Amino acid sequence: MSRILDATAPATRLAALRIVVGTFVVVYLVGRLPVFLALGDRPAADFDGVGVLAPLGSPPSAGVLTAVAAAAFVSGIASTLGWRYRPNAVVFAVAMLFLTTLRGSWGQLLHFENLMVLQLVVLAASPAAEAWSLDARRAAMWDGPEEGADSARYGWPLAVVGLVTITTYVVTGIAKLRYGGLGWMSGDTLQNHIAYTAARLDLLGGNPAVFAEFAVRQAWILGPLAAGAVIVELSAPVVLLGRRCRNIWVIAAWLMHVGIFLTMAIGFPSPLFGVAFAPFFALERAPAWLRRRVARDRPALSR
Amino acid sequence: MRDTPALNRRARGAITLAVIAVLVSPVAFDRDSFPLSTYPMYSSSRGSESTLVTAQGVTADGSTRELSPTLIGDSDDPLVVVGRLRAALSAGRGDVRCTEIAERVEARTSYVDVVVIEIVSERHDTVARTLGEDSLVEREVRSSCEVSRT
Repeated sequence: MSRILDATAPATRLAALRIVVGTFVVVYLVGRLPVFLALGDRPAADFDGVGVLAPLGSPPSAGVLTAVAAAAFVSGIASTLGWRYRPNAVVFAVAMLFLTTLRGSWGQLLHFENLMVLQLVVLAASPAAEAWSLDARRAAMWDGPEEGADSARYGWPLAVVGLVTITTYVVTGIAKLRYGGLGWMSGDTLQNHIAYTAARLDLLGGNPAVFAEFAVRQAWILGPLAAGAVIVELSAPVVLLGRRCRNIWVIAAWLMHVGIFLTMAIGFPSPLFGVAFAPFFALERAPAWLRRRVARDRPALSR
Repeated sequence: MRDTPALNRRARGAITLAVIAVLVSPVAFDRDSFPLSTYPMYSSSRGSESTLVTAQGVTADGSTRELSPTLIGDSDDPLVVVGRLRAALSAGRGDVRCTEIAERVEARTSYVDVVVIEIVSERHDTVARTLGEDSLVEREVRSSCEVSRT
């Protein structure tokens, strides 16, 4: 617990996470905008509000939906740039929570966007724009440049964002043992899930996953993979134990998502693009690392 | 902005515990929602036979044609398409959904041979189907409607 409560980091690390998560969610929003806006055309009779929309008896109008999507886009860009961060980050998180909750409010709960939205909510409550932001630039004009000392002020929110990722994976692992039992790890259940997903896509006129048939045919590999998936999910807290444990776990979790995508055509965007794991890394070092790489490669290129 | 001090350790501890409690609360109450979830997807045990709901086109000679997710559910996401189809059937609105699909099919020239839409529940041996073998165990037409060809 002290690794979370006493975690320290420079302001730039939290700022880098703000930029990474904000950019990812804005791009995601733009990419899925037709899907979100199409929710306004759905029959009201099919609406079954969940989460924060559970009290609603009918879906919001198309006009409200468009306004929320526009607010999400504008506040998303503003908060990513760190301009008037707190109000914009709150609007961004609430708007994305609204849109993604609405998407799951038609009789089919979706689980692709949970982690992304939860990370946004925690970030909105954090001082993530005290460096590398328009707010910080404005403040520096009045108060002088920001000091770069590590502080729990920035390290603890980062640790909480990471904790959201860790807890999500642990809960997912618990679900497999709770609903599927130890038998889930035998591989038969995983084979049937892969086959079910492929058959469902096939019947709906879609294309089954690239490796679905291969996985179902080579069923012997599914037992170890199923057990491995549960172990990866339940062992997520090991990322707190140090750099090596963190790296091994993140690679294993990422490979698990790649495997899910290749065998079931189900993509969890935030983990697949690494954003879910971003709070575990010193992202603020990336620009300097890139500069060194460019400087090292430049003489080689000029030869 | 920078004058605001960091929260003290006790406050950080209380908030951290609250975050954990909120995230695991769906497990405690066994209640799936959004964004707080039990993440039950693909966690239940599943046999090789499953019942799948879909919509198919029927041509004048009685043969069936697969439709795309967009035609069936006005979405490219199969989970959404199946969810909407299931929701409509359980709400007794299968005929309404069938008519909507028929209208989308009617607007597509590439489906001009489809004269009837059927919403069906099919029971398949999904492993056999994935391997390209005969898989259909049972088929039930849940709703049927004509495609207008005026």
